[in-house]
Amino acid sequence: MTLVGPNPGLRISEEPVCLEVVAALQAHLDGELAERDAPRIAGHLARCARCASEAATVREVIDRIRRQRPALDLGALGRLTGVVERFGGPDRPVRPAP
Amino acid sequence: MSADDRAQRSEGTTATDRDVEQRFREQVLSELPVLLRVGRRLTLDAGDAEDLVQDTLVRAYRAFDRFDGRYPRAWLLTILRNTHRNALRKRRPDLMDDEVAHRIPDQGAAGRADGVPDAALHDELDPIVRTSLGSLSARHRAVIALVDLDGLTYKEAAHMLDVPVGTVMSRLHRARAKVRAQLEAEGITGAPR
Repeated sequence: MTLVGPNPGLRISEEPVCLEVVAALQAHLDGELAERDAPRIAGHLARCARCASEAATVREVIDRIRRQRPALDLGALGRLTGVVERFGGPDRPVRPAP
Repeated sequence: MSADDRAQRSEGTTATDRDVEQRFREQVLSELPVLLRVGRRLTLDAGDAEDLVQDTLVRAYRAFDRFDGRYPRAWLLTILRNTHRNALRKRRPDLMDDEVAHRIPDQGAAGRADGVPDAALHDELDPIVRTSLGSLSARHRAVIALVDLDGLTYKEAAHMLDVPVGTVMSRLHRARAKVRAQLEAEGITGAPR
C-alpha cells in the first residue's frame, strides 16, 4: 500500500447530489479527496444550505476533537533535534557502504 | 565507497557524507514532531517514546542510501512502526501485531503518565469531548488518536494499524459520530442529525 496520495476508493460525480456529498464530507474536511473531487464537493456546499450546515457541524466536531491534542514534549523534541544534528559529526552512526 | 573516500572518512567526513547528512537532516527534522507523537502513542511513556524515535532515527540514517527521497514521513513512520514491533516482540513474544490498536490511551491518563499536568495539555479543556473519547472502544480511539491528534493521513493511519483505508474511514466516522451525539445531547453543536 502506498502511503501517499488521495484515496483511490473515493470517486465523486461531476455534479454530486446531497447524498453523495454527505457521504464524502468527512474525507473532504480531512483533505483526503483528490484534487479533481474536492472542488465538486465545495461547489455543492456553496449552493446547498442544508449540506453546508451539515458540513459546518461535522467541522465543529472535528475541530473540538483536535483541540484535545496533547502538548508536544518540547524537551524531547529538542534532544532529538540535537541527535539529528549530531549525525553530521563524529558521533554519527555508521552507514553501510553502498 | 572509494578508497579515497574511506581514507578521508577515517579522518573525518567526505563531501559525499556531508551531502547525505545534509539531505538526511532536511528530510527528517520537520517530521520529528509527528514521530514523537506517534511514538508516544505506541509506547505509552514519554521516555520510551523518545528512545523509540531515537532508535528510529539511527535506523533511518543507516538505511538512508536506500531511501528514494520521496515521502519521508511515510518512510519514517514505517521504520518507527517496525522498530516498535521488533522491540515489543523481544520483550513480549506473545503479543500480536494488532497491539497498536490496543495501545491508544485515553488522553487524561496519557497526560498524567507523561508527567505533564493535565492543564498543560490544552489551554481550553473540553470535558465533554474528553469524556466521549475516553468512552470509545480501543479501535475507535486509535483512529481518532492517529488522525485527529497525531495528524496522520488515512493511509498512514491504516498502515500503522494494519487495516484497510476503508476501515480507518468507517471507524473514524463512527467515532466522530459518537462524539457528535454526546455534544448534541449536551446541546452544544448546532445542526440536528
